Amino acid sequence: MLDYLLSQLLNGLVIGVIYAVIAAGLTIIFSILKIVNFAHGEVFMAGGYFSYFAIALLGLPALMGIPAAMLLCFLMSLLIERTLLTPLYSPKTERKGDYGVLATFGVSILLRNLALLVFGSYPLRPPSFWSGSLIVGAIYLTWDRVFAAGFGVLLLALLVWFMYRTPWGEALNAVGQSRESASIVGIDSTRFYRLAFGLGGALAGAAGALVGPIYSLSPSMGLAPDTQAFAIVILGGMGSVPGAIIAGLLIGLCENMFVAFFPDPSRALTYAQAFSLVVLMIVLLVRPTGFFGRRHMAME
Amino acid sequence: MTRSLAGQAALIALAAVVAVIFPHLVNNYWLSVGITALFYAIVAASWALLVGYAGQFSFGQMAFVSMGAYTSGMLAKYYDVPIPLGIATGVVLCAITGCVIGYVCLRMRGPYLALFTVAFSEVLRIILVSEAEVTGGNGGLQIPSLFRGRSDLPYYYLGLVLLGGSLALMGWLVRSRWGLFFRAIRENEEAAAAAGVKVVRFRLLAFAIAAMFAGLAGGFFGHYVGILTPDIGSVDQMGLVVAMAVIGGPESLIAASIGAILVEFLLEALRAYEQWRLVLFALVLLLTVRFARNGLLALGADSVMRVFRRRDAATPARTA
Repeated sequence: MLDYLLSQLLNGLVIGVIYAVIAAGLTIIFSILKIVNFAHGEVFMAGGYFSYFAIALLGLPALMGIPAAMLLCFLMSLLIERTLLTPLYSPKTERKGDYGVLATFGVSILLRNLALLVFGSYPLRPPSFWSGSLIVGAIYLTWDRVFAAGFGVLLLALLVWFMYRTPWGEALNAVGQSRESASIVGIDSTRFYRLAFGLGGALAGAAGALVGPIYSLSPSMGLAPDTQAFAIVILGGMGSVPGAIIAGLLIGLCENMFVAFFPDPSRALTYAQAFSLVVLMIVLLVRPTGFFGRRHMAME
Repeated sequence: MTRSLAGQAALIALAAVVAVIFPHLVNNYWLSVGITALFYAIVAASWALLVGYAGQFSFGQMAFVSMGAYTSGMLAKYYDVPIPLGIATGVVLCAITGCVIGYVCLRMRGPYLALFTVAFSEVLRIILVSEAEVTGGNGGLQIPSLFRGRSDLPYYYLGLVLLGGSLALMGWLVRSRWGLFFRAIRENEEAAAAAGVKVVRFRLLAFAIAAMFAGLAGGFFGHYVGILTPDIGSVDQMGLVVAMAVIGGPESLIAASIGAILVEFLLEALRAYEQWRLVLFALVLLLTVRFARNGLLALGADSVMRVFRRRDAATPARTA
């Protein structure tokens, strides 16, 4: 029983890191463009497929699938931002929050159905980054999971460095805190909106590429992470990257512990999907500003 | 003014005549498409009432549809409750749940509300999937039909009556003082409250009323199809309703329901293209959101009106 709990714990940590990568991307978009991006899960899904096809069609080594997915997701996000999100910057648009929801919700329907059409509904499984498993005593963890967690941690560290130690990161933060003040000190906010949306997409794409060999790819794989990432973003305090990382690990862990302790194993897996949704609802009800502060990040 | 009123009356009469003779012009397949279209039209109109008029951005309408359908279906299946009574129970349950959701969401606006209602619908769907002994799970729940005969005609006419009744009720509501309060809340909650609108009461009412119509549509459609699956309340189904209402025009009940009927018929007519049609509709939805936020029908009606007005303005000039 202890071994089972321990391996559930480790699996929870791995998933938590992936959640944190997805949520960190979402939180950047959320804090800077001030929209709830309903298409984030679909960009994550696209990242998985981009990596798969970069490996399968171009013959890249498995590891190169991740940067390929990040680059393609970055470009795809730029395309979405240029074509659909520019009304958010115009003072003429009424009720921008609703516009953002409708536009990104439309993108998510489009991408999901486009994926069904192009990739088919059969699950695809990309090649392993690192085959075999890590076995210590009775604990069993595939190397793919270890690798995904390690790479995720690396990405998150890079992101924190970028956000807090580089001029671009500081400019992003400034635009997130106040559009007007950022303009006064000479920051071209539109450029940073674009950067934020692209960066968020690239992170989602990386997460998609990382989970490919662990689970398999399907056009609907973005549905669950989307709401999970929202739960994490709001729990971690909107716009706070460190908050999103902590909350991501927390949700990943709790979800796996929930499965381990749920009395009826046949229902545990389906109810596990509801776990983060219920967390999301409770956080929205009890403390809409999250547990890590950042009140100024509230929606307009 | 009187001319446009007469025009409206003529249009409604024409639509009614077409709707009444429609089943006699088509085969059974298209009749069932027609019934489905009527169902979606009620749901889209209820979404337009909540989102377009009251400004409460909710993705929960299909969850209320499934709540109405499952309540009535399970009452009829397990307790032999007469179906009309079951549907009424479903409607009441939806109204209560709508009130509760409206109440707990009082502090939330716009995108937060959208998120909360998405989470609510998904939790409901997951419960319906998980409690398979009672709900049938993903395999579906067989429930009794509303009418005994083999023919779909009674369903069609009942759906037509329901749609007409719902539109009349909701239309009367939005033209009443309450409708004015709804729109005031949509535009600016603080200003509305300052002007004496009971914001809390009317936000709850908007949720409850919209949920009731969704539950009614769900009960009707559930007993027509005869088999319920948790997928009725899925995000994809909600996306379809949103697309229908937005393409038609979310700020008009009639435009939203016409949008629903058009989209449903086009979806069936383009069935040969399978997945492409959903991609196509997603694209149309995005274009509408981006360039014509009041809906394609409103845009079309506007440009027609403009042409007429120009002609009206031109005629006296020529005679003078």
